[in-house]
Amino acid sequence: MEISTNDYRVWTEGSAIHYEGTMRLSGTDAYAPILEIMHAVLEAKPEVITLDLTGLEFLNSSGINLLAKFTIEIRKQPDVGVRVLGSKSIPWQSKSLRNLQRLHPALELTIS
Amino acid sequence: MSVTHVTQETPENQEPEAIGRFSRHSFRAKFIAVVSAAVLFDLMLAGGVAIWNVQRLSKDATEKVETGLTDATEEYLRTYIDTTGLRTELLLDQVFSEVEALGASMQTLIDNHDTGAEIGLAVEGDPVLGDKLVYNKEAGWAQNSPGESVVSVWGYLLDDEGNPLPEVAEEIADSSAFNLIAPGMMKTGSPKLQLYYVGPKDKPIMRTTPYTEQAQTFDKLYPGHNEANFWDFFFPGVYEGWQDWLADPANRPVPRDIVGTAPYIDAITGAKIVSFFFPLWNAERTDVAGMTAVDITLDQLSSLVENVKIAETGFGFLSSSSGNILAVSEAGAKTLGLVSVGGEGQGVTGINRYLSQSEYPEVANMALPHDTGTVLETIHLGVEQHGGAEAREGYLVVLKELAPINLWDGEKIVAENLTLGFMVATDEIYAPLDEVRQELSDATQRIVSWQITALLFSLLVVTLAVYAISGRITKGLSELAGAARALQNKDYSVRVAIPTRDEVAAVGLAFNNMAEEISYHTENLENLVEERTRKLETANSEIVALNERLKSENLRLGAELDVAKRIQEMVLPRRSELEVIPQIEIAAFMEPADEVGGDYYDVLFDGDHIKVGIGDVTGHGLESGVLMLMVQSVARALQEQGDRDPVAFLDVLNRAVYKNITRTNSDKHLTLAFVDYENGKVTLSGQHEEVLIIRANGDTERIDTIDLGFPVGLEADILPFVATLDLAFGPEDVLILHTDGITEAENEKGEMFGLDRLSQSAHDNREKSAKGIAEAVITDVKSHIGNYKVFDDITLVVLKHR
Repeated sequence: MEISTNDYRVWTEGSAIHYEGTMRLSGTDAYAPILEIMHAVLEAKPEVITLDLTGLEFLNSSGINLLAKFTIEIRKQPDVGVRVLGSKSIPWQSKSLRNLQRLHPALELTIS
Repeated sequence: MSVTHVTQETPENQEPEAIGRFSRHSFRAKFIAVVSAAVLFDLMLAGGVAIWNVQRLSKDATEKVETGLTDATEEYLRTYIDTTGLRTELLLDQVFSEVEALGASMQTLIDNHDTGAEIGLAVEGDPVLGDKLVYNKEAGWAQNSPGESVVSVWGYLLDDEGNPLPEVAEEIADSSAFNLIAPGMMKTGSPKLQLYYVGPKDKPIMRTTPYTEQAQTFDKLYPGHNEANFWDFFFPGVYEGWQDWLADPANRPVPRDIVGTAPYIDAITGAKIVSFFFPLWNAERTDVAGMTAVDITLDQLSSLVENVKIAETGFGFLSSSSGNILAVSEAGAKTLGLVSVGGEGQGVTGINRYLSQSEYPEVANMALPHDTGTVLETIHLGVEQHGGAEAREGYLVVLKELAPINLWDGEKIVAENLTLGFMVATDEIYAPLDEVRQELSDATQRIVSWQITALLFSLLVVTLAVYAISGRITKGLSELAGAARALQNKDYSVRVAIPTRDEVAAVGLAFNNMAEEISYHTENLENLVEERTRKLETANSEIVALNERLKSENLRLGAELDVAKRIQEMVLPRRSELEVIPQIEIAAFMEPADEVGGDYYDVLFDGDHIKVGIGDVTGHGLESGVLMLMVQSVARALQEQGDRDPVAFLDVLNRAVYKNITRTNSDKHLTLAFVDYENGKVTLSGQHEEVLIIRANGDTERIDTIDLGFPVGLEADILPFVATLDLAFGPEDVLILHTDGITEAENEKGEMFGLDRLSQSAHDNREKSAKGIAEAVITDVKSHIGNYKVFDDITLVVLKHR
């Protein structure tokens, strides 16, 4: 599955979800198609879901909300592990991704 | 899409000129012109090439024929002159052979003296063959009476009685075999004038056959001969020459014993003759013993040479090496311009017609060849015409040198080469060539004429055909043009009938359809206008209704937005509230990206405690605005309750908001941080952007708030994450709160304003009042954004210790 625009690209490879570019969508409704992809991966109940954000330069607050909500959903399914990959060189990631780990302490966060 | 605008003009100006069928502007005329030009070009090219080729062929053929004919003519002339030369030599050779045969017989008698003497006695004794000498006392010589041959005995060979001296008598007897042999030879073989015998120098009796009165003739023509020695008188030098030969045969100019004379008038017969001598030797070969000789008339050579016939008037001639013409026809002599001169011969009378004395300088200067090759040259002679004007006529001259012979030139014996010559007018010899040339030229002219005629005829036929066909081809166009004119004159009933099936027919069909439509529209214009008006009215009323609906919808949406905006504006602290705060100078700036923003800030003041909050709700709009209002209300309630513990404050606030969010089924949350000030100290709590503190001395501190809290409204219980941080905040210290709308403001290049620029801007303006700092920072942010898009709400709160 893949969603691609001039600004960003979101695609899945197995149980890994990759994000790339700049996501500045206007609200929950605008993020719905992306959430759908993420749900589809979650519904397959893989052992570990990987959220690869290393290529995501910018994410607005609605996007961060989306990640938080998704993390809470994963938390409800103890069988499904989650791994988040971030990049130190992108300012918003080091700040916001730690909140995901707080929401779901089993979340494995790697900021490299 | 491009639209071609046609300038509207009055129809009168647009009236097209009717184009006549044969106007030079008509399509048909152009069509005919183009096709005719193409055909004309093609024909001219093809015709030109053909004519050029024919002329070249003609030229080549003429050259070939010319070369061929010239070669053939020259070859013919060479062969002819070779053959004639051979015949001349053969004729002479035959004569030579006969005189040699006679001489050889006489030599045999000398070499066998006894037998010769006996034969002589036998002949002398013969009543018919024997010599019957009769002494002519008056003339002083003895000569026999008429018979087959004559023998003359000169006076100095006789005694006083007229009888031959004894040794002379012996000589007469010894040589009488001549009477036996010579007459027979005379009658046979080649035509000869006479054969004769002369005895040795000391007894030069002369025998001749046939019989003539030779002594009488000599007396008449050569007075004094009867007293002088025969040899010295008639042929001075010949005898001595032979004696030389005897001493050394290599002295012979030509290795053959025959010696000829130059032509002369024969004393006896009066004919032009040539003599050939053959010497006899004594038995011991120590001295000359006389000779045998033959006279032939030049007629024989002449007839051979004169029989040469080349073309009409071409002739042959025979020349001595000195250029004396020995044989030539009279016409030939005239052509050569020869002049006869009498020879001053001693003993014999010559006849001379020298080339060098020709009346034509070209002939006079003509060089005779001196090898055996054949010379072929062309000369031009001036010939007097009837009018007296001189015309130059070309002649082809062929010269061939014959084999050499010994010649007595009147003094001594020399080698002589006769030269055979042919002469023919080039006009005659090349007459066939001229004919061929003329015929080829005529043929070429004929072909060219026919070619040109054919070209003109083709052009005529094609032009007529094109003219005929063009009528058919352009008929449709003419009709279309006429119909279009009629249509312009508002005759909408016009239609074209086009019988062909080409593009013109397609245009005609389209024209008919258009005419039909124009006709229909013109006739039904009023109905159509009414119908269209009705349709437009209906559409208009629909649009009006729709517009009304849209207006009400807009009003509704606008009202909603207005409400949200009012709510936001209502809850923000008023400037008057801030100005009364004694310890801290506070300035705030907020600019939403949309009509209603998602940013939150508040200042709660209750005497000695100041609480400043800042937050950022996810998203914008009414929902975000309401959530902000909730947060403000709860915070105000808690403040009023006197809750001074920032951790409990946040925990309760979160729980209240979380439950409300769950109830309203909203999926929003917010970051939220508080700054509490009391007695020169600030306490930070809650998770939000970094807090900036610019100290009075210029030091800058950045405080990360991640570990001080958690997003509000996301989790039911955030107490485990909430913490506080105490920091000194003294006079002139500045504290800056902001939302990410400031740091993430982008310029055209996509560069964010960032915390560093914010920090620098605040630092640079720290001396100003809180309001001054806020204005300066916002100015920097705006100038960074420039004309680029503002993505997010921008909120800035500046606290400055008084």
